[in-house]
Amino acid sequence: MTVPVTPLLEMKKVAKEYRGVAALKDIDFDLRRGEVHAILGENGAGKSTLVKILSGAVPPSAGEIHLEGRRVQFAGPAQARRHGIAMVYQETSLVPALTVAQNLYLGDEKFFNRLRGTYIEAQQLLQSLNFPVDPTATVQSLGTAKRQMVEIARAVRLKAKIIIFDEPTATLTSEEKHHLFLLIDRLREDQVSIIFISHALEEALEISDRITILRDGLHVITGDAKAFSRDTIVRHMVGRSLTHELYGRAADERAARLPREKVLSVQNLSMQNVVRNTSFSIFAGQVTGIFGLVGSGRTETAKIIAGVAKRDFFHGGDVRLDGSAVRYRTPRQAVGDGVVYVTEDRKGEGFFETMSVAENIYIGQISSRQSPGIATSMRTMRALATSWTKKLNVKALNSDARVIELSGGNQQKVVIAKSLVQKPRLIIFDEPTRGVDVGAIAEIHQLIGALADDGLAVIVISSYLPEILSLSDRILVSRQGRIVAELSPDEATSATVMFAAVY
Amino acid sequence: MFWGGVSRALLVRDQEKVVLLIAITLFCCFSIFLNGFISAGNLLTLVRSVSILGILGVGMAFLVIGRGIDLSIVAIYAMSAAWTLHLANAGVSIPLAMLLGYLLALAAGVINGVLIAYVEVPALFATLGMASLVYGFARYALVPLVVVYMPAGASGIAWVGGGFVFGVPIPILLFALIALLGHAFLRFTKPGRFIYAIGDNFAAARISGAPVRPIIVLQCVLSATIAYLAGMITATAVSSMDTNVTNSSMIYDVILVVVLGGIGLSGGRGGIRNVIVGTLLIGILLNGMTIMNVQYTLQNVIRGLILLAAIVIDSILNPRDELTAQQGDI
Repeated sequence: MTVPVTPLLEMKKVAKEYRGVAALKDIDFDLRRGEVHAILGENGAGKSTLVKILSGAVPPSAGEIHLEGRRVQFAGPAQARRHGIAMVYQETSLVPALTVAQNLYLGDEKFFNRLRGTYIEAQQLLQSLNFPVDPTATVQSLGTAKRQMVEIARAVRLKAKIIIFDEPTATLTSEEKHHLFLLIDRLREDQVSIIFISHALEEALEISDRITILRDGLHVITGDAKAFSRDTIVRHMVGRSLTHELYGRAADERAARLPREKVLSVQNLSMQNVVRNTSFSIFAGQVTGIFGLVGSGRTETAKIIAGVAKRDFFHGGDVRLDGSAVRYRTPRQAVGDGVVYVTEDRKGEGFFETMSVAENIYIGQISSRQSPGIATSMRTMRALATSWTKKLNVKALNSDARVIELSGGNQQKVVIAKSLVQKPRLIIFDEPTRGVDVGAIAEIHQLIGALADDGLAVIVISSYLPEILSLSDRILVSRQGRIVAELSPDEATSATVMFAAVY
Repeated sequence: MFWGGVSRALLVRDQEKVVLLIAITLFCCFSIFLNGFISAGNLLTLVRSVSILGILGVGMAFLVIGRGIDLSIVAIYAMSAAWTLHLANAGVSIPLAMLLGYLLALAAGVINGVLIAYVEVPALFATLGMASLVYGFARYALVPLVVVYMPAGASGIAWVGGGFVFGVPIPILLFALIALLGHAFLRFTKPGRFIYAIGDNFAAARISGAPVRPIIVLQCVLSATIAYLAGMITATAVSSMDTNVTNSSMIYDVILVVVLGGIGLSGGRGGIRNVIVGTLLIGILLNGMTIMNVQYTLQNVIRGLILLAAIVIDSILNPRDELTAQQGDI
């Protein structure tokens, strides 16, 4: 028995151009009351543009938006919010120095604002959502997950009819994800409609009622979530089947690489309360995957090893490279010894946005001990750029293209190339495929494998289980600042790894 | 948004050319309409003041490209040269006086660099404090006079500021030389590339293994060295050094030259060419206003307006990046 559904929100022939370049072309989209609707697509497919139009952040170039049957036009996010559309951002939009309660009621304070009253109201709101957040804590003292809870609470408080989540799970631990999904279920029961953007396809399949897939600014398909599988989604997203290429390498297809000599050993390393007395070893010629939830100290451990962490926070322990103790105070010393760290935060600490691809790679070269002397050489720079863009298949118009203009995957390749020119012996990839389009993921995975085959010691840090399982010859699991388990690919399954990471 | 888009499209590549064009137009107008502008005497003054401003601009550019700033450059310029003259007056031999003067400048530069790079004080505050310290310390302990004159015995170095080569004043040749060396340093040496990298993204430069802290110290030392050179050129050109210049609006002129020319305060952009065009425009403008007898206070109004306009245009063309901007940096 099907009741004809009148959509809560409808977009008709919506298009958006940025300086003549079409980001969205004639998109039709509808959202029903009380449904969870996932929007999927590769980077640059137009997902963000679509939700920016919906949340009033950018105006559409053409087309109409109808809300509850009436045509609406948003002059800005504030107006969209008044219409009941709230957005929960990937980078949170809270004021760090204010308390949780103050943030919840920001812009809505009474003239005579009693803080106590606000705290009590905020407490009730947070409790009703079952969020374990202290309303008197300042936002800057909270982790990403809790900040997101505050954002969600704010949307709920504003009685939003539509809540848009942009990559809500990217920084959450699996436990927190579970909580988020429970909450989304509850919101759905309250007839709130939810738009859910994610790179994690399993999550979209698990949580959503309907799925819309975009590709190159075009609407590809909308349908019931039940009608999709991981494979069909990926095929629609990229127009070809990549799942196998990406994660198909089961342990039985390829034997794990055998360890060669021990390159790095870490003994009882500690830093504040993030890294607690952790010990492990890394061997040449294989990929060691470190899996752990966000906040389990993986990144921090890597940053200590590579000299990136500030020394003031260092609390002791022993890092040995080829058996001799090293304690790097700056990344420069580590790079000199062939230990490089490829960051998880490309834009923040990976590449130089005003520089070209060639210049970026060249900075890597002249920062290492590969090039003596003081003068730079245009010829070396060009040669490096040509060979590395070819090796890593960096797609840029030319090597003079600025890195900021490239897609996420190509930017990541440039950052990797910048590290590889330093001829490392130990290379640490931190979330190597975060925010990278599906096509480039496969290439980066192949590259990581090839590096291990060449005899490098490779560490891959990831919170994405399929990535860890398909890449690693050896899996370390990190929990609460410590390596708690070591698994061989034979014994590692999603269940065993996740079990070690959580309990 | 619209405004930003349009001006960006129009100006982003051409800021340099636009500024150069305005400078040339201004020069032509002044030559035609201002009596005495084109006279040999005035042109000499113009060239000399332009040279000093430009040389200081090169020093400032090293810092600004690395997303820093040096507010102490004028203090170092004035006080190191004044002390050199004072020592010479007191009977110290010229070479030794010059060496000691330079050591004063060098010390200020090194301390600036250490404060910024190792103590991690924002450049704005470190150099602001240093400006005050250098002026105060020099006046208190080293140079009791407000204006220090060149001793008669120092005629041996008078050619630096007052000489000519084939009719061209030496200061402008020195400006050209320093600009050329500065350009070569920024473009064709590794430390130069590192300065751009640091200005673009400090964290990325550090992780790449660039020697970020030594490079920051180097920037400050270069800036102080250039300040000392400029100070000696001024001192020999006018046979004196007026320490009050530290408290004048000269530091704003230097910043103006750099920003107006198109070196973004957000770092990583621009080069010595930008300093040259900025210098031309400001030099011509200041000289013209002086000839027109524009009141000093009104001159400051005009200067202030141009500086603000240049910074606004800069922030439209090179918007600050929330992600990589650091608290307290300029």
